[in-house]
Amino acid sequence: MKKIHVRVSRYDPEGDARPHYQNYVVEVNEGARVLHVLQAIHDEIDPTLSFRYCCGAGQCGSCAVRINGVPGLACMEEARDDMTVEPLDLPVKKDLVVDLLPYLNTLPRIQPGGEAFVPDREKVELIKPLRSCIECLCCVSVCPAMDVTRFDGPAAMRQEQRLALDPRDRKDRVTEAVSRGLFACTSCQACWKVCPKDIEIPGKAIEKLRALANRKGLTLPRHQEVARFIRESGRSIVRTGPTFLEDAPEVIEPDGPVRATVGFFVGCMYNGRLPATARDAMEVLKRNGIRVIIPREQVCCGSPLIRTGQIDFIDTLKKRNIDAFVFRNIDTVLTMCAGCGSTLKNDYRTPFRVMDINEVLTKFGIEAPARLPIRVTYHDPCHLLRGQGIRDEPRELITQVADLVEMPSVCCGSGGGVRSGMPDVASALGENRRKEIEKTGAEIVVSSCPFCEFHLSEHTDRPVRNVTSLLLEGYREKDRKKAEQQVQG
Amino acid sequence: MRSAEVLDCHVLVIGSGGAGVRAAIEASGYGETILVSKTLAGKGGCTTMAEGGYNAVLREEDSCGIHFEDTMKGGAYLNDPELVSILVAEAPQRINDLLAWGAVFDVTDSCDVAQRPFGGQTFPRTCYAGDRTGHEMMMTLIERLASTNVEIENEVTALDLVREGERVVGALCLDGKGEVMVIRADATVLATGGGTQIYDISTNSSSGTGDGFAIGYRAGAELIDMEMVQFHPTGAVYPYDARGRLITEAVRGEGGILRNAAGERFMSRYDPERMELSTRDVVSRAIATEILEGRGTPHGGVFLDVTHLPRQQVEEKLPVMLEQFLKFGVDIREEPMEVAPTAHHVMGGLRITPDAGTTVPGLFACGEVTGGVHGANRLGGNALADTQVFGKRAGESAGRSPRRDSCIDPKAIEAQEERLAAFLDGQVPPSTVIRSLKTAMWEGAGIFRTEAGLNKTLGVISHLSSLRLLARTRENLAECCTAQNMLLSASLVVRGAILRKESRGAHMRKDVVQTWDARNSPYGHTYQSLDRSGIETAVRS
Ligand SMILES: Cc1cc2nc3c(=O)[nH]c(=O)nc-3n(C[C@H](O)[C@H](O)[C@H](O)COP(=O)(O)OP(=O)(O)OC[C@H]3O[C@@H](n4cnc5c(N)ncnc54)[C@H](O)[C@@H]3O)c2cc1C
Ligand code: SF4
Ligand code: SF4
Ligand code: FES
Repeated sequence: MKKIHVRVSRYDPEGDARPHYQNYVVEVNEGARVLHVLQAIHDEIDPTLSFRYCCGAGQCGSCAVRINGVPGLACMEEARDDMTVEPLDLPVKKDLVVDLLPYLNTLPRIQPGGEAFVPDREKVELIKPLRSCIECLCCVSVCPAMDVTRFDGPAAMRQEQRLALDPRDRKDRVTEAVSRGLFACTSCQACWKVCPKDIEIPGKAIEKLRALANRKGLTLPRHQEVARFIRESGRSIVRTGPTFLEDAPEVIEPDGPVRATVGFFVGCMYNGRLPATARDAMEVLKRNGIRVIIPREQVCCGSPLIRTGQIDFIDTLKKRNIDAFVFRNIDTVLTMCAGCGSTLKNDYRTPFRVMDINEVLTKFGIEAPARLPIRVTYHDPCHLLRGQGIRDEPRELITQVADLVEMPSVCCGSGGGVRSGMPDVASALGENRRKEIEKTGAEIVVSSCPFCEFHLSEHTDRPVRNVTSLLLEGYREKDRKKAEQQVQG
Repeated sequence: MRSAEVLDCHVLVIGSGGAGVRAAIEASGYGETILVSKTLAGKGGCTTMAEGGYNAVLREEDSCGIHFEDTMKGGAYLNDPELVSILVAEAPQRINDLLAWGAVFDVTDSCDVAQRPFGGQTFPRTCYAGDRTGHEMMMTLIERLASTNVEIENEVTALDLVREGERVVGALCLDGKGEVMVIRADATVLATGGGTQIYDISTNSSSGTGDGFAIGYRAGAELIDMEMVQFHPTGAVYPYDARGRLITEAVRGEGGILRNAAGERFMSRYDPERMELSTRDVVSRAIATEILEGRGTPHGGVFLDVTHLPRQQVEEKLPVMLEQFLKFGVDIREEPMEVAPTAHHVMGGLRITPDAGTTVPGLFACGEVTGGVHGANRLGGNALADTQVFGKRAGESAGRSPRRDSCIDPKAIEAQEERLAAFLDGQVPPSTVIRSLKTAMWEGAGIFRTEAGLNKTLGVISHLSSLRLLARTRENLAECCTAQNMLLSASLVVRGAILRKESRGAHMRKDVVQTWDARNSPYGHTYQSLDRSGIETAVRS
């Protein structure tokens, strides 16, 4: 037996103005799940604690709660000491019980023609992963887009795609999905990462529906423009001034001995819109012994096309990019755009390794910068945190330069083609970030993705910096102090 | 007394598992139908947890005759042959209904529904959707239900049926807040599922508390073969609090091997011919014996091993198992599982006619709450088929029932209110009573039984039944009612076990020496109702 301290959110609509926390200590067996802790509280301490469960085996989707802030199934997640259990971020009926029905009742349902037959094997294999949904609504409870616009959300989109794949269904699910907000999804992947059944809704449902919408001519006009531009120029960004690639040398040799050699995949945003930031990153790499090769002929990674379902040109882009690095015998490609990194890692099959700049810098270790007397907050780029699983690395770098105040990791609204296609949605999400940023009291916002940096800068009055730019400031401060000392000495 | 809410309908269906939803879909074609479910509809019950599959004769090489024979043999010839004939004949049509409504079963390359071998069957006839077959069925049924005009009362617990004379005319229920709800109906379908939660170690969902056995019994219905409780051979033993969780038979169907702690493939000593794919009663007793005789694993089970199978097969055919074990720290592609028997299924239940009528007019029943279809031991894959075949029949029969002018006797409501009010100043929390019951049942009415042990268990049950259950608030009232239902169901199981002085199928009496095999048994069904109880002594062919 072991002791578990747990803080549980309690709320009784008849009597409580708002939820409050109650602390409990219970004894449970080794390996006990969160559900068993709740049962122990109910059976031994307070029978008025309400929570929902049924199968106890991850199969019915009744028991989802937030455990230390993260949605999950109470019957499957192991109970840990000092945990907090709260209801999902959905309308609460009592304590941990939320009202699932209003959402469940909106899910699209099949309209079969009436004949009994099974789809062919290929179809079945495509439908199966979408079919394992237990309607727990963990995904819906975290979807940022649903908060700011009429979007029916990830579980509904999953179902639309499942129906779109099924020859027995008679409705036009693609048009329906579009009318239910298909283009509002920012591809932040929050839904996928909390799904207990690991259903990859953004990639396996939303992008697939957008591709079907594309075939029906339903792609948003702004997205079509971007696609046209990529097809013509190989780039998703209109040239407004000198680009990074135009100015950059083919190889950047480091200051000291070479500790590693990487090929740099620049990406359209850093190339065309934020070249100065890319140059900051090059300075940091140079200072830390990383030799950088920069193939000029690289083009857009294709992310803006994949996310918006315009996939017929993708293979050409992939080939051009892969060839550019293979030609130079590069075994590690470095990305600093979270979106490009996620695309190269997840949508490409590359013969080389892809690493984000935060990974490279923490792997090889960096020269210590000077500490700056500032407080910063860090905005997790969706395509870095969830797309690449990179959470600790940027924090490890930032805390060497400045004090870090955390804020919740929520999408800023710049991804998935939403900024171009549905600017109101992107802007509303950006405004939500503004509030969180203000709560932290930080003077500077740090991030590690050009889309986030660019978008956030429109939604906060604080300066927004890339992680490497912040490091560079730390180095400059260090050099300045050193110079001062030398003058004094 | 506050005046209770009264609803009126043609057909009332109690229970939202496979059987209840199928019945409601069917009944809705005949008139206004209300579906009452203790849980959110579709999320409760055991159907959604069913993993392995659904038996149906679909191939030319197979036949209903063989399915019938397998089922009777598996059931130790205690099954009601007429019900079995219907089951095997209609299972294929009912799976077709599901396919027409959008079910996504696994298919072969030639676009037929795929089938896998299951224990006790001479033909691989178990249709499946990976190892989430029941979930696939439930999703399909709930989608279909949504397109009918059935009114769903979610998270409402049925307490008791109400009779007018002989006839059932509706039910009294409790809503989520603990207020009484009255539903008048021309016909009522009981589809509350099974009840192995009365055992310490059980595969069942939290709603598998035998409510329907108790509710039916109190309304005067006759129950048969309640002693026939199936212990599934392979339940999880770790983590302790999740013990009993089902390890699907599909694991053995796909080629999983059982070994004791010494590494011996012990099934060769119990059933050398069928080995791991013997019937559940045989495999359960084999495992229990290995453990009892000291050849068990550290966690008190035996090993079930699929590490010799290709990884891809495990990933594709057993994804839920893989995921669950990974969560509990075991990668079944690389290490064996540890398993032990767990209380899984109640074969006994309300006696039904082929039209799913019970012995009480106005009351129909389907699914695990009924008895007779599976005899003394259910074959894996037959229960899901049962829910669809008899669910449809029950819905249809109820739907065809004549409309009548009946009314709910206010005295019945009053009596129920009094029963509930007593809980509010009771003494013992239901959870305490339930814990004691579960242990007593596991020890005294488990895999191996003796008259002495059964009598002792009955003593414990009657003591527990005499305690005054406590509900802290009205919201806790349902728990008290459930505890009472569990006590009553348990006593029906134990009484049945005492009545049956033979070992047969899942029922193993260690204290009885018998000279007959199942086919030549002098006994038929045990039966229990408010009026009578006993064991049939049918002369068998
Ligand atoms: C883990 C597991 C795996 C299984 N695998 C298989 C398999 O592979 N193949 C197979 O054929 N069989 C399998 N079975 C058996 C099979 O799933 C069940 O026998 C069958 O699903 C029962 O269906 P049902 O509709 O009768 O009851 P259930 O599905 O159990 O539904 C009962 C319903 O009644 C409701 N209810 C209960 N009490 C009340 C009340 N008082 N008031 C209102 N509502 C109430 C519940 O909420 C629930 O909705 C399995 C069983 C389990 C537990
Ligand atoms: S990817 Fe993000 S925005 Fe899109 S559905 Fe999932 S949670 Fe919502
Ligand atoms: S998609 Fe995943 S998280 Fe969303 S409801 Fe389904 S199972 Fe739950
Ligand atoms: S209780 Fe069913 S998923 Fe947790």
